[in-house]
Amino acid sequence: MSQKKIVGVTACSAGIAHTYMAAESLEKAGTEKGYQIKIETQGSIGVENALTDQEIEEADVVILAVEINIDMSRFNGKRVMRVRASEAIKNPDELIENALNEATIYGEKGAKAGSVTMGKTEEGGFFQHIMAGISYMIPMVIASGLILAIANVYAFQRDEAGRIIEWGFDTSTVMGELMSHLFDVGQVGFLLMIPLFAGFVANSIAGKPAIAAAMIGTYIANDAEMLGAEAGGGFLGAILVAFATGYLVKLLKKIPYPKLIQPIVPIMLIPLVSTLLISLFVLYVVGNPMASMMNFMYDGLTTLNENYAAAPVLVGVIIGAMIGIDLGGPFNKTALVFGTAVFTDTVAKYGIEGANFVPQTATQAAISVAPLGIWLASILFKKKFSPTEKVSAHSAFGMGIVGVTEGAIPFAAQDPVRMITAFVAGSAVAGGLAAGLGIKFYGGIGSPIGTFIGYIEQPIPFITWIFSVMMGVLVTALIIGFTKKKVE
Amino acid sequence: MMMNDIFDVNNIEFNSNTKTKDEALQFIASFAENAGIVKSAKAYYKGLKKREKEVTTGFKDGIAIPHSKHKTVIKPALMLVKYDHPIEWESMDDKPVHITFALAIPEGKNQEHLKVLSTISRALIDEDFTNSILAASSKEDMYQLVQGKLSDLND
Repeated sequence: MSQKKIVGVTACSAGIAHTYMAAESLEKAGTEKGYQIKIETQGSIGVENALTDQEIEEADVVILAVEINIDMSRFNGKRVMRVRASEAIKNPDELIENALNEATIYGEKGAKAGSVTMGKTEEGGFFQHIMAGISYMIPMVIASGLILAIANVYAFQRDEAGRIIEWGFDTSTVMGELMSHLFDVGQVGFLLMIPLFAGFVANSIAGKPAIAAAMIGTYIANDAEMLGAEAGGGFLGAILVAFATGYLVKLLKKIPYPKLIQPIVPIMLIPLVSTLLISLFVLYVVGNPMASMMNFMYDGLTTLNENYAAAPVLVGVIIGAMIGIDLGGPFNKTALVFGTAVFTDTVAKYGIEGANFVPQTATQAAISVAPLGIWLASILFKKKFSPTEKVSAHSAFGMGIVGVTEGAIPFAAQDPVRMITAFVAGSAVAGGLAAGLGIKFYGGIGSPIGTFIGYIEQPIPFITWIFSVMMGVLVTALIIGFTKKKVE
Repeated sequence: MMMNDIFDVNNIEFNSNTKTKDEALQFIASFAENAGIVKSAKAYYKGLKKREKEVTTGFKDGIAIPHSKHKTVIKPALMLVKYDHPIEWESMDDKPVHITFALAIPEGKNQEHLKVLSTISRALIDEDFTNSILAASSKEDMYQLVQGKLSDLND
């Protein structure tokens, strides 16, 4: 067995004596037992010997000898033992042994730690789990999103008329070849980030045994081909699978297993059973309804488009709204596929002069609204964004400006009601304006700069397009700004 | 030197007539006023009482660490009092107290003295230190022992 790692926090109401006595006492006892132990003190001096995320992650158990409320979110999914500070001073040896043997995963509703019940529902609630997943997903979103964004700029070629509408990498040149590879690299990140998110949400709910089922289940839920649907479930699907897995695994943990097989329960039995159940659930229960839901939406759009051809604003608003609702999930994909299909069909039938540009133009006008709206909100309402959120918002700009909508996902997952409302409203405005003002999007980047990198016919060159998109961005930013709470 | 402001040999006192926790706290408070550590003994006494009510400061093996952060405190200080009579302090091991390490902490943001005081709190976990302090019979010995513990900070 490797050396046990213990981390802890001590804090008392005065922050003068007990905080430090408890810390010293735990450190001494832990070291004497041959454990690796680090204790953070939150006293009147402030935080000293602060625990890093990595130290918390690697620890076998967290001991909290605290008499005041401390930030618990960083201990989500960890085994936590919480006692009074005096307990750590009085009997540190026993406390450490108890913690190693009996501490329960923090974040579970009603989880008992020591003799103190910490189960305030909101502490272990929905958003704690979501936030845990997001914190692991963000680095991957940023790294892969920016790589994808850079590559995407190189993906547009001129057609014979000199219009920049062809999408695809010119792999006959060294640069084109490189960029096509980088595009693939970014795609891999986007493919992984949704399961990664779900894995750590499930981990936060039910610990390590839940990771396998959540990641595998979400991968399937996000893979259109395996599901037999037109698109995967996106991040909303991931949230569903992660929570289903988390609570399934919690149930599985409650079964009283015979002592003989107990050691293999968390590493073999639960992962195996939960992965089987969740994968089958996704394949047979989620896949079909999602495919039929998308078909239903697609048919609805067709009817809408046929009956309201005279009201492009309405078509634009609805299609724009669908783009903003789930950022790469079923709604978004249905709208995108529909836009492209209508355009190609009508070009084939009536030639480019008679083609129906409305749905495609609306999708492209809406696609960058969510990430750019987030970015603008973070600029206009600085006090309402934490430092991490600001970094995410800046990289969302990098993605949004080249038409990559996924940069907004962390925000949507973390605060779905507010963010999705804002995204849908802004995207609908952009879609409606672009369609209503008679813009024709031939091809290019779906963002304000699409008018330069791409080919867009519009009443006032450049201006109409940029205006339409930016109005949507502004609406999104203002809704976020006016409704989001200040960061403490 | 920082430490001499907080603790010197004059901050150590022997007491022969105190018999209860309440008397001990009063004794510490008036000692602090006489030494110019606090403005008002009464206010400091109330502060010490308040902390005891939240949680006892009685530690193990005959040691207590009464303390208060209060606006009446003029300068941060550690005061050591050794009692002839054992005093009931509701300590963690239920043993009576023989020595108190009293801390006076002014309000405000100065952090340096808090470091010194937290070092004292940590020192009490070291049984060699507490045993030597309990065994020490002169102010000078006690002073040397505490200074030895605090010297880490002055390196």
